[in-house]
Amino acid sequence: MKRQTIGIVATLLFSLIVVFFIPWLLDLTGRNDLYFTLTSVALLSIASAGVWLTFFIGRINMGQAAYALMGGYISTILVVNYGLSFWLTLPLAGFFCALVSVLIGLPILRLRGVYFAMTTLVLTEVSKLLALALPITGGASGIINIPLPKALKILGITLIPDFTTLANVKRAFYLLSVILMILCFALLYRLVHSRLGQLWRSLQQNEELASSIGVNISYLRLIAYAISSFFGGLGGAVFAAITQSMYPSNFTVNDSVNFMLNCFLGGLNYVFGPILGTFVLYFGWDWLFRMGKYQLLIFSSVLIVLMLFLPNGLLSLRFRRKSQA
Amino acid sequence: MGSLLEIQQLSKRFGGLLAVNNVSFVVHAGEILSVIGPNGAGKSTLFKLISSFLRPSEGQVLFQGERISHLAPHLVARKGVVRTFQETTIFKTMTVRDNVIVAHHLRSKANLLDYVTGSSRAKQDLNEFADSADTILKLLNLYESRNELASNLPHGYLRALGIAIGLATGPAIILLDEPFAGMNHEETMRAVEMVRRVRDRGVTILLVEHDMHAVMKISDRIVVLNFGEQIAEGTPEQIRQNEKVIEAYLGVEDESIGM
Amino acid sequence: MIQVLANGLYLGGQYALIALGLTLIFALMNVLNFAHGQMYVLGGFITYTVYGRLGLPFIVALLASAITLALLGAAIERFLFRPVIRRSFREESTMLLAAAIAFFLDAIILLLFGEKQRGVPKIINGVLNLNFQLVMPYDRILIGVVAIILILAFILYMQRSKTGRALRALAQDRVAAQLMGVQVDRYSMIGFAIGAMLAGIVGGLLVSITGVSSGIGGPISIKAFMMVMIGGAGVISGAIAGGFILGMLESVGLSVLHSYGDITYLVIFASLMVFLSIRPQGLMGKPWG
Repeated sequence: MKRQTIGIVATLLFSLIVVFFIPWLLDLTGRNDLYFTLTSVALLSIASAGVWLTFFIGRINMGQAAYALMGGYISTILVVNYGLSFWLTLPLAGFFCALVSVLIGLPILRLRGVYFAMTTLVLTEVSKLLALALPITGGASGIINIPLPKALKILGITLIPDFTTLANVKRAFYLLSVILMILCFALLYRLVHSRLGQLWRSLQQNEELASSIGVNISYLRLIAYAISSFFGGLGGAVFAAITQSMYPSNFTVNDSVNFMLNCFLGGLNYVFGPILGTFVLYFGWDWLFRMGKYQLLIFSSVLIVLMLFLPNGLLSLRFRRKSQA
Repeated sequence: MGSLLEIQQLSKRFGGLLAVNNVSFVVHAGEILSVIGPNGAGKSTLFKLISSFLRPSEGQVLFQGERISHLAPHLVARKGVVRTFQETTIFKTMTVRDNVIVAHHLRSKANLLDYVTGSSRAKQDLNEFADSADTILKLLNLYESRNELASNLPHGYLRALGIAIGLATGPAIILLDEPFAGMNHEETMRAVEMVRRVRDRGVTILLVEHDMHAVMKISDRIVVLNFGEQIAEGTPEQIRQNEKVIEAYLGVEDESIGM
Repeated sequence: MIQVLANGLYLGGQYALIALGLTLIFALMNVLNFAHGQMYVLGGFITYTVYGRLGLPFIVALLASAITLALLGAAIERFLFRPVIRRSFREESTMLLAAAIAFFLDAIILLLFGEKQRGVPKIINGVLNLNFQLVMPYDRILIGVVAIILILAFILYMQRSKTGRALRALAQDRVAAQLMGVQVDRYSMIGFAIGAMLAGIVGGLLVSITGVSSGIGGPISIKAFMMVMIGGAGVISGAIAGGFILGMLESVGLSVLHSYGDITYLVIFASLMVFLSIRPQGLMGKPWG
């Protein structure tokens, strides 16, 4: 009980900071440019949360970029070609990705280890090539000039204002993204710390034993993979709205690898690992921009050193004494 | 005593090799039945066939008159036919108690959504699981080590944990995979005692075993396999005097038959 | 048709060599070497420097590529993979390390050799022309033949030499090999070195035909993964088969679907996914490696 209270307080505090304090600070210091960086961190960490969940059931997922791409295109096409409200396309993109992932997951979730990793890596490539080949995605030239989200009204009450009327669109997108991030991670935390999470953990440790105690392993795997892909689609959809453009190169194999890195860096045993991992990786990369042509060299060297000394993630520093979080 | 489990003309072919050849027998409710045989007799293949981890080439397995040999393993477990594994198959990074709690899956009344939202039905389930887990842990002398990580458990306790996991599902019949393998005399006797206690809770037991000594002591009836074929069936006394069994074991390992 | 087959065979030889190195490393250490493509590129640039810029004989350049990459591979195993494998809770950590090494090599290559595509003078001139049924430059034929000889040499080495036998024992069962007295650490290092060396040699061979540029490491790695998966991860015969199959598929695909460009790869990749979900162990692998 006590631990739960601490958790809730910490979550509230974190939410207050990212929703109120950081915007206040950025407005005060005039660092409007940081909004985009922080927005990206929030969205990428949502997609990474999906990858983390697949790790949690014992699968190395290198296909998350495929779902981010898919979610981006679904939302964009529904907004641009069919005039749907962005706010409606957001859950639709997520659910479409979840549905596709169920169809793909049925055969491929039987694979383990490298086999699953490679198959999902191929999935990332397939989705890029599909985006290039399909007529509706506009091929390599992509879809540009995506309109900003309109107002969200329910029963005549404006819940979210029209983004085109806002003075600071960057801040609006920032708030949207961090709120989504908080919701997604709260959901993830709840799932993982419920009995469902315990059953997922049993899959991670031994699928045969899990099935011997009556656990429908393929069903549970599918649920996890569908939620994971939902997160991917959600992140991709918001990303397209922010940049107002959608290209096949928006999410590539590199992103799939990065999502994985975010999870590793944060630590695979900690639900909030992906946020920390994404933050450190993204900011580290951004910060190293000043190093000019040495950016990649320094970045990768730091990664290698981190792996050498903290092979179980950054959060393992703090939790070293505890057996499991 | 009615028949609980019926094995009917079961065969399994791997390529050209006939690992199990036309085996048939019946397990009655409440008994301890052992399947024995020299190495390579097809015991573990038969074991996997009965628990549905392998599909038979021919024949079928009936549980309470219902065919189960085509079902997925988790559905067979749901019917009440639950297998255990040899020792290292546990949930390693969970505590001993969590290992047993998670194994109560089949007794859930709440659905997955209940568990996520934390409904009262889910809470009730979780309390029941915790109580039941403690009872099982006491029964199998694991209660003292309940908060240990399962991977830290001493060797001798691992098999007890395996049986505890199996028991938690609330099985009608439990299939034990070589429960006495690698144990010294004293450990074997303790394990025999433990298996009896499980049976006394009303769980029928089918075990596959190499150790003749323990099997003679514990079984109500014994089925003997050799080269995939069933060569004898009967009480320990009958098996002890069966010519074919003596022939199969003699010369190879006459010591282990305990005569 | 003969033309297409010949192209496939030539391409397949190169691919098989790349896949052999990757599968060897995987079999020995259960490490999926994301940096394999970068090792190939590095090999290409070394040959470019020694042969194209310094003007030394091609064979010297090729040896330089081979030796450098072997040393690099040994160092990577000894100082990076070995400690990380020992200290991490989950074997997946090696994937992160491999990815970081891939980034690192990319950065090094970019800094040392720049962004430009580099090529070298032809090693031999002339074109074989059989009635326009088969048109093939002599240098391609030479490189193809060299690749096939190298593959045969590799197989022979693995079968006959003491090192090869130790490596095979190690690949089959690490623990058993250790019990048999194989020095696991030493041979892991040697195996990694050989794997990296093969990638470097192919890079060196191909620089004389297609040239080399700094950005192609990642795509090469992915192709290498595919070949390994087609044949079955960690199986030598599988890697060779996978290499030739992908070479043929590309050659046939590009000639049949050439007007559609990327469709060839879409078709190859999509069918690979279907193939893998039906037969995850590939053509020749054991289930679950």
